[in-house]
Amino acid sequence: MSDILLDCRGIDKSYGGPMVLTDVDFQVRRGEVHALVGENGAGKSTLVKIITGVTGRNAGTMVFDGKTIPEAHSKKAAQELGIAVIYQELSLIHGMTVAQNILLTREPLYRGTRIIDVRRMNRMAQEMIDRYGFKLRAADVIDHLSIGQRQTVEILKALSGNASLMIMDEPTSSLTSEESAQLFEIIRTLKQRGISVLYISHRMEEVYQLSDRVTVLRDGRRVAVLDREQISPAEIIRLMIGRTLTERESVNRMVRRDGEPVLEVEGLCSGDRLRDISFTVRRGEVLGLGGLVGSGRTEVVRAVYGIDRFDRGRVKFLGQPFVPSVAGAIARGFGFVPEERRLQGIMGDISITGNVAVPNLDAITSRAGFVSGSKELEHSRRAVAMLNIKPADPERAVGTLSGGNQQKVVVGKWLIRDLKLLIVDEPTVGIDVGAKEEIYTIIRALSDQGVAVIVVSSDLPELTRISDRILVLRQGRIVKEFAEGEVTEEDVLLASSGITTGIRAEVAP
Amino acid sequence: MSWDRKRLGRLASDLRLFWILILLMAVLSVVSKRFLTLENLTNVLWSVCLIGIMSSGAIYAPITGGIDLSVASIAALSGIIANALMNGLGLNWILSLALTLVAGVLIGLVNGIVTTRFKVPAFIVTMAAKTYLFGLAMYISSGSQITIMKPRPFLAIGVGRFLGVPIPIYIMLALTLASHVLLRYTAFGRRAIAVGANEVAAKLSGVNPDRVRNQVYVISAVTATVAGIVMASLTQQAFAMNAGGYELDVITAIVVGGTSLMGGKGSVAGALVGAVMVGFINNGLNLLNMPSSYHPLATGIVILVALIINEGAGLPTVLRRVVGVR
Amino acid sequence: MSIRVVRRLILVGLMVLIAAALAAASPAFLGLDNLMTLLQDASQTGIIAIGFTLVLITAGIDMSVGAVVAVTAMVCANFLEHTGLPAAAFVPLALVGGCLAGAFNGWCITRFRLPEFIVTLASRGLLAGLALIIAVKDADGFVKNVFITNEGFLKLGGTVGPVYLSVIVFFLLAAGTQFFLRRTKAGTNVYATGANPAAARLSGINTARTLIGVYMFSGFCAALSAVFLCARMMTAMPDFGIGSEMDVIAAVVIGGTTFTGGEGDIWGTVIGTLFLAMVKNGILKLGLSPYTQPIVIGGIIVVVVVVDVWYKSFAGAVAARARRRQAQRGQA
Repeated sequence: MSDILLDCRGIDKSYGGPMVLTDVDFQVRRGEVHALVGENGAGKSTLVKIITGVTGRNAGTMVFDGKTIPEAHSKKAAQELGIAVIYQELSLIHGMTVAQNILLTREPLYRGTRIIDVRRMNRMAQEMIDRYGFKLRAADVIDHLSIGQRQTVEILKALSGNASLMIMDEPTSSLTSEESAQLFEIIRTLKQRGISVLYISHRMEEVYQLSDRVTVLRDGRRVAVLDREQISPAEIIRLMIGRTLTERESVNRMVRRDGEPVLEVEGLCSGDRLRDISFTVRRGEVLGLGGLVGSGRTEVVRAVYGIDRFDRGRVKFLGQPFVPSVAGAIARGFGFVPEERRLQGIMGDISITGNVAVPNLDAITSRAGFVSGSKELEHSRRAVAMLNIKPADPERAVGTLSGGNQQKVVVGKWLIRDLKLLIVDEPTVGIDVGAKEEIYTIIRALSDQGVAVIVVSSDLPELTRISDRILVLRQGRIVKEFAEGEVTEEDVLLASSGITTGIRAEVAP
Repeated sequence: MSWDRKRLGRLASDLRLFWILILLMAVLSVVSKRFLTLENLTNVLWSVCLIGIMSSGAIYAPITGGIDLSVASIAALSGIIANALMNGLGLNWILSLALTLVAGVLIGLVNGIVTTRFKVPAFIVTMAAKTYLFGLAMYISSGSQITIMKPRPFLAIGVGRFLGVPIPIYIMLALTLASHVLLRYTAFGRRAIAVGANEVAAKLSGVNPDRVRNQVYVISAVTATVAGIVMASLTQQAFAMNAGGYELDVITAIVVGGTSLMGGKGSVAGALVGAVMVGFINNGLNLLNMPSSYHPLATGIVILVALIINEGAGLPTVLRRVVGVR
Repeated sequence: MSIRVVRRLILVGLMVLIAAALAAASPAFLGLDNLMTLLQDASQTGIIAIGFTLVLITAGIDMSVGAVVAVTAMVCANFLEHTGLPAAAFVPLALVGGCLAGAFNGWCITRFRLPEFIVTLASRGLLAGLALIIAVKDADGFVKNVFITNEGFLKLGGTVGPVYLSVIVFFLLAAGTQFFLRRTKAGTNVYATGANPAAARLSGINTARTLIGVYMFSGFCAALSAVFLCARMMTAMPDFGIGSEMDVIAAVVIGGTTFTGGEGDIWGTVIGTLFLAMVKNGILKLGLSPYTQPIVIGGIIVVVVVVDVWYKSFAGAVAARARRRQAQRGQA
């Protein structure tokens, strides 16, 4: 029996456009913890999707446990082979017990009948729980379990399906540090039992702690496979970013702007998501918020815009105290471009004109409540022209536009207002390169006009490029400010990961 | 005006409704010689009127992704309330009608608040309302059919004519026009559509979905109240069983007219045409001497088909799905 | 003690109180005759409610149950009196008819991905109309009142000892369905489909098949109730069952099954059914206007759902605040 559990060679993948994965070789050995790292867009999730059968590959071979995986791979086939993915809560049924969840569709029956032997089910589940040393009770309903405990149930569920490869994607992003430590113990236990774990994470300290080997992807290619001795967080980050100075398009120099403060946030606290956040954004400044997933960036902007409530803290707008509310924010000149374009940003069945009109009703409505059709159309035309939306037809349903043009509509409806502050959460996800550039130009133009802009982005080149100043969040706190001098993507990523740059790469807890 | 395909497409679908209506009229006139007579068409007019009045307000509920099943009970109840105020308490008829409308507003508010504040699905709330309002109507009237003989001005609403056209027609047209303007040309209409299209996006753009929904259910209740008043005047009768089953006709009219029950889209003009079609279908069944409770069957078929076509994106897709090809 | 148990205890307590009040106000209430009739009325709604409960657990709804009753009643009337078949032959036929109606609902819902409410509303219209079409009519085309004389069939409306047969069947069906829900794989699949259909599918459950099965069962229960109704009334009218949806919904809602899916069970429905029957019987015995009945039923539905929702959000807010405080303490 070969040492290699999963053997992928020459994997190519494209979604009909540019190559997402090019000639990727990837091997996972039996009983090893193998980390897969790379920037956003490097191809990690695509590779995982191919392994788990969610999507197909254009080229390449895959062999799992000695069996060749055909091109027509499927989720079901992957499950049957023994490949399991630990989603976060997505695959658990509320209202059911731990045992029921673990043994869903595999419940033990009384011989010859279709009746579930509940006692045996609980016993089997409890045996499994004890065998792995967890502190769960099989008969407990999962509704009251913490996220970490639920994750454990998911793992057990995968194990009961005889998984030999467990794939975990950012499993610690919603866990407390205690629960994370417990998870690491679990992973070590799994390893002892010969189960392989494929671990995807941005958190370098975890990768460093857990992995036997690390595969680094960059721009769809495999750039390195590191053995345990070779692993150091700083080294990994360097490999992830990889671009040399000559390859970068422009120098990312931070500029401290000194206009009047538009937004001042002091001591913002919200549960365990945000801790004592304080910052100021000035006129004409583009403030970038960086950090790993779950660090609190989106929570900050949602709190400031008035969508989510917070426990403590003060916000001032143009020097005046401001209790955040969406209506109040819009009236004062805020704009908000949400993270998920399709779910939160656009009304797909409605025309461009209709979408643009909604936050601007105050400007186009007469006192009696009537909307001026001509003003509405004028707004829409202006947005289309300013942002070069294609096709330039205001009556087109927004859902029929390309991703880039949809985003332009979402941005455009704010642009035609008297904006003082624009918040953009992930400006260019799923957008083609041309549209990306246009959006960067728009943001630049806005700041030139004196509008303050807050940009949340996980795309490091983008963040360092368009920001005048960058705040890095980590675990709900601001841990670093880049306000002067040159900033590289490594700098941001290191700060996000809690690694202080220096000669020795220190691993922060 | 750009004559691109989308514009033409929309025009065609609006016209398509008319063609279907014309077709329906042709079929019915063949099926029964009595169809095209003035007497018969006048009869159809009454039910079309009532359904039309109710639809003009009820259309906003589906636009925001909800539904109002209580409209028929509201109509019956308002007739009884109006009569009780005018003839029971002897109040001036104008005052009575005003108070009845206020009652309608309150009923709509209750529906709205229970569904927004308590997050109860609209069809449960309005279905329960249908039941308890009906009970209330029965209770107040002791279940009897009360004939309304006075006051004359009140009766004139239903029976009177202006320039030869019955007043209820004016009311229906006025309300339909008002609703059309409200939907297409006011901020409220935009907000209602936004809430139905994507509530989260609407909220992020400053719309208050709860407030919009409350207003929607009030509007629905008010037009139902007006319909009830007109009906009581027309039939000269306050009876709790009046308008029984009308909510189904109203939904049919709205759905057939092109309004999506999932929200975000609506056509008041279409609802009016739908009301006419429903009136014709019912009338046709009557002419064929089928007992009046056959119309749920026809209505059921019409709803299903209209729904599948509206939501399922076109007849070919529907047929393909039925046959099992994806 | 879980919230479900507390809720049930409150309900039972309320029932005892109401029963006591009714007994005091009207001594006839506690008579064996009255109680047996009350139970029989309860079983009428209750049998339908059992099937309806499963539909709600899958986060769906079946508005056509009343119409299924009507159609089944008509089938009974026609087949019984005019084909002279023995009851044993066609009662199963009637039940199969109910299953078919339910299967049609389930098929439309899963195949076309249409909202359950609308599909079953439309099929309600279809079936109600169908009932009228197959109704026995006299020479003028008006529906005739058919009297059922088939002895075998009429026995179904009878009693076993002091207890009506329909009541026994109701409790047996309830017990069986409860067992099915809690102790079989298929029952687990019903809960899973309702609680989290995506997760259920991920785990390999065929949610479409589960849904169709659930709607078939709902149709079956409605047909079964119709059979007993006809036997009890010794006749069949095409409007039997029309309008009974509110009673069924009230019974299930009072019993604690929610519209959001994934939770609820038959014992709750049984309690809800008995509660409702008691309230209705009480209204009668107290000499209140029968028109208060729809007011009370509609009102109860709204109040119960509001209280349930309010309590859930209240409990959720309390838990969330506790978590926040704990988190804040944890990193102070």
